[in-house]
This record gives sequence, structure tokens and C-alpha cells, in this order.
Amino acid sequence: MTRYGMAIDLSRCQGCRACVEACKIENNTPSAVFWMHVFRLEQGEYPNTSISFLPRPCQHCNNAPCVKVCPVGARFKRDDGLVLTDFDRCIGCRYCEVACPYGVNFFNWRDPEAAFADYQVPFDDPALVPVTGGAIPPYKNPDLEELHGEEQRLTAGSAHFKGVMEKCTFCVQRVEKNLAPACVQNCPVGALQFGDIEDDRSPVSQFIKDKKQFKLLEDLGTDPSVVYVGGTPPASDAHEIERPLTKVEA
Amino acid sequence: MTAGTVSKEPLPQGVGNFTGKWMIVTGIALLGVIVGIVGFLVEKNQGMVATGMRDLGTMQGATWGVYISLVVYFVGVSFAGITVAALIRLFNLEHLKGVARMAELLTVVALILGAMAIVVDLGQPLRGIVNLFRYARPQSPFFGTFTLVISGYLFASLVYLYLTSRRDAATLAKRPSKLRSFFRLWAAGYENTLDQRERDRRTSFWLALALLPLLVVAHSSLGFVFGLQVGRPGWFGTLQAPAFVVLAGVSGIGHIIVMAAIIRRVVRAKRRIGMDAFAWLGRFLLILLLGYLYFVVVEMLTLIYQPSIAEQGLSEALLTGTYAAVFWGSVVALVLPVFALAWMAITRSWKLSWLVAVGVLVNIGAIGKRYLIVVPSQTHGQLLPYGVGSYTPSWVEFAVAFGFFSLGVLMVAVFMKIFPIIELKDETIEVELDTEEVMT
Repeated sequence: MTRYGMAIDLSRCQGCRACVEACKIENNTPSAVFWMHVFRLEQGEYPNTSISFLPRPCQHCNNAPCVKVCPVGARFKRDDGLVLTDFDRCIGCRYCEVACPYGVNFFNWRDPEAAFADYQVPFDDPALVPVTGGAIPPYKNPDLEELHGEEQRLTAGSAHFKGVMEKCTFCVQRVEKNLAPACVQNCPVGALQFGDIEDDRSPVSQFIKDKKQFKLLEDLGTDPSVVYVGGTPPASDAHEIERPLTKVEA
Repeated sequence: MTAGTVSKEPLPQGVGNFTGKWMIVTGIALLGVIVGIVGFLVEKNQGMVATGMRDLGTMQGATWGVYISLVVYFVGVSFAGITVAALIRLFNLEHLKGVARMAELLTVVALILGAMAIVVDLGQPLRGIVNLFRYARPQSPFFGTFTLVISGYLFASLVYLYLTSRRDAATLAKRPSKLRSFFRLWAAGYENTLDQRERDRRTSFWLALALLPLLVVAHSSLGFVFGLQVGRPGWFGTLQAPAFVVLAGVSGIGHIIVMAAIIRRVVRAKRRIGMDAFAWLGRFLLILLLGYLYFVVVEMLTLIYQPSIAEQGLSEALLTGTYAAVFWGSVVALVLPVFALAWMAITRSWKLSWLVAVGVLVNIGAIGKRYLIVVPSQTHGQLLPYGVGSYTPSWVEFAVAFGFFSLGVLMVAVFMKIFPIIELKDETIEVELDTEEVMT
């Protein structure tokens, strides 16, 4: 039985946020939405402080609170371990968001089209083809509009409908093609690994083998599929020293 | 005074008589409803970005706000109506018969408002109306809210209201008036024969008996929406469900007292709703209020004695921080009425003005407490180091909230003009009014 999961080596992470960038481009997320987020944390009291980084994708929990509370079954867990949202079914009650202790859910507060003012480039224009070489811009990736998995549900990409909940999908459109998620692919230091965490011979299992591991907020019983190695959970006095854009205006 | 001779005789309690004062009240309520509709349309046009709500986590907002607080509040208010009505039926409390129908109406109105508040809160309201039934999942605590509370409980309350009002409809259908055919339709063949009355009495007795446990389950399910979430400090706990039931009773009884005081004056029925009815409601409210304050103390003590780090941040925000004003305001609004009610109960002198003030105060306190359950655990209850969030409702949310309260007034006002809000006295056509005229 496959159970997809991610391993994150905190000793390698340098807080460059290449994963965040890759995620935003691959999944076409609106501004101020971070399916992948990297905490830049400071802990301790001056002068005895230390800095650490903590990448935070969706934990794709085995015992996911968001799946439990969804009143319409739009949030569901696939047999291969991915926790996904059916954008065609979601009613936007945001219960999954309050139930999730990791803060990974993002709501489409406004019309997604209005969120992409920066993308108003006429890629279809023949005059631009010599410049682009005919490449498809990420936000026009047809895979994002396709139905995926056994269930054949609309689960990939972001910004489909106003008033619908979205979150990290482990790049289901890439996983279906046996590719690693965009964040894993783009990490310059190989801090992120992806694969079947139940298969001992898989690269991801080899990656964490014999290393001290932890999972985020493990004592809540959510059984996350994201395993951290090479570091410790954030200290109780840890606080962010730098934050991404958080404003969403009409 | 028989129907045949006095054809122009007005219907009791001002039914069918649209007075100037009524027009003004209804007009203002209608304006309020329009304000609410405008707010809702702005929200649907721009997206939920028009509200003050934002995502938890990196966006540092609260994703449930005024709307969910109102859902919880309205459903809470509905509790008392049907409870009082059922208790009157089950224990045959004669002196309370006068408030039975308005209590049933309050339940129906509050539940409709609660259901609408849920729809307004949805990002995709139309999908919600279909999918909530089509893909219903009993595992979700929301299932209880949507099915038990909104569907089952609202339907049962409507049936109850209908059953207990057929006799009056049959009585009024015998008299010539503009609304005669309407009453005949309402009575639906009911002719107030002994046989029918016995059957009605039995049906409504068993329905009342069935409603009471349904009610506890329904309100507990609303508490479970919050109480089962282990990932939100301040929400997770066994007290959540019972505290919801009790606070629901507090706000609902407070509402009935205010409503009965106003209606008694408007339709001049001081004898039908006597002070003994208010005294009963006051004592009931006192007991519920004491029970609820006990829950508050237990909950706060648990939160501050040896809190986890997340709960520490939350209790600081509640007691001395961002939410201190709302918290202590609500506590005062719930504690003052205890003293007032206890004083009146001990001296056995019930003052209507005091009772109305108590009714208003406990409802302000209840809204405050509902808000404090919903919001602080989101802004101050993050378990990962996201930093403290904030939430300020936008004008859209206030407009919609105002629209809900206006709609509530409107529904009660319209009902009062098409049906007697106080059960007619048995065997007589008219309520004994304090004066001959009804609502000038």
C-alpha cells in the first residue's frame, strides 16, 4: 500500500523559500496564499537567540481533522495518502480551516481572476510566441483543470472558484505523473524528499533512516505524513522574524 | 356579540387591522432588511473579502466571525421558545398559556434566522443548499446543526405551532372577515369537536415529549462543532455542549420576557399574560443563569490554573488583553441580572421594567459570550508560531447582522397581523382585553 509522504531535513534548510516560489508558480495560488510556507523563527532571549527555519506544507494527516469535519465530503483522503479538496463540491463553510491545527488552509476570499492582475500578459498573442517559445505559462497548465485519481475529482491547482477552500495538494497533478511535488523539485539543497513513506526501500525512507525524527504537533493524534529530521520542533517561545505578504483587499 | 349580528366586529388582538404604528414599525424593519440584503449582495459580488474575516495562519485572521456567532446565538434563542411551549403542554401550566404561542413563534423565527446566517457565511451558498443534503456526512458535527437543528427541529416546531393554533383558526374562520378564507385554510377541516380536540391534545403532548430530548441533542451538537476540535485551544472540552444548552436557555428566556412584555402592551392583554407568568419565567431564567455562571467559573478556572502555553495566551487575551472589554462586559451583563432576579425572587415582588432590562442584558451577554467562543481561539489559539491574529468585522457584517434582527421583527410583526399571537380563550371568541379597542 502506498502512502505518500514528505521528509524535510531541517539541517539542510537555509530558508531560501525556493519551495514557496515553486509552489506558487506550479499551483497558481493567489497573492497572500502560501500552500507552502517557511517559518523563519527566532527563539531565546537576546543575546542568547538562535534562528531556525521550518518549511510547512500541508501535513496530509492520516487522521485528518479537516476530513472528519467536512459536512459534504469535499475534503477527503485518497488511498495513497493525499488529503485533497474537491473544488466542485466544497461549499465554503471553512470548518476544515478552523479544525486544522497547522493553519494550512486558504480560502478564495475574492474572485480568483481579480487576484492575478500581474498575469495579464497575452500569451496567446502570436507576436509573443518568438519570445516565449510557445511555452505555456504555469497558470494555464491544463493539468490543473483535469480530474485526477480513481475518484476523478477536480482537486489540482488553485484559484478555481470564488468562495471555495484550497490547500497544498502535494502537487497531485505531478504525483499522478510520477513526478515529485514542485517544492521538492525546486529545493536547491535537497532538504525536501517525497515518496512512499511506508516502503522501506523508497528514497524518502532511506532519507530519514536512522535519523532522529519528529512530526509537527504529533500529540494531537493527527498522524501527519510529513516527517522532519535534522532539527527539533519549534520552541515554545519561537516567533516569526519575517513574514510574507498577508494582506487581501477587495 | 355573535358572529351573525356583528359583521363589522374587528378580529381579536388587532389581527387584520393595519394601524399606523404598525406600519411605522414594519417600515423600519423592512428598511433594516434591505440594508442586510445590500450587505449580502456586496459580499456575494466582491467575495467574502468584503467581510473582516481572513485565513488563519499566515494571514493572521479569523475565518469564522460575526456570522457564526449569530448562528450560534439564534439557534440558542430558539431553544427557550419550544422548551417553554413544551413545558406548558406537559405540565399544564395554565398561567403561562398566554406566552405559549409567542414562544413557539420565537423558536420558528430564530431558527429561520439561524439557517439564513449559515447560508450567508458560506462561500458558495447555492452549492451549500444542495450539497449539504446531497452529500451529508453524519461524521461532521455540522451534520447535527444542519439536519437536527435546522431541518428536524424547525420542522417539528412548525408542526407544533400549527397543531396548537388550529383551534383558534377554526374559531376565527366562523366569523366574517377579510381573512376568513385564510383561517379556513389554516384550520384545514378542524372544527373544534371534542373528538378532534382530544386527538390534538394527545398529538401535541407526545410531540412536546419528543421535542425535549431532540432539543438537548440539537443544542449539544452545536456545542460539539467547537468542543470536539482538539487543535483549537479554548474549544476542546466536555463542558462545551452542556454550556451551549444552558446559555441557549438563558438567551431564549430573556427573549421571551422582552417579547411578552412588548406584545402584552401592544395587544393590551395584561390579564392574559399576568405577572405570575413573568415570575415563572424570571425564576426559570435565574436557575439557568446560575447554572451557566457555574460553567463559566469552572471553565475559566481550568483555563488559568495550570494552562498549556497556547491556553495561557488565550486566557491572557480574554482576561486582560484584546478581548477583555467584551469578556468583562459579558460577565457583568450576566451577573447583574442574577442579583436583580434573586432580589425579586426573594422579595416576591416582580417588576416588569426590571425583568425587561434583565432580558435585554442577558442577551447582550449571550451575544458577547458566543463571540468569545468563536473568535479568540482562532486569533490567539495557534499552536504553530504564526503570531497573534486579529479580527475586526467590516460594515458588511454589521449590515447583514442588522438585517437579521430586522427580519426577525418583521416576521413577528406580520404574524401578529394575520393570526392571534396569544392563544384565544377556550369557548370564547375574543381574548379578554383590558380595553375595548385593540391597538390604536
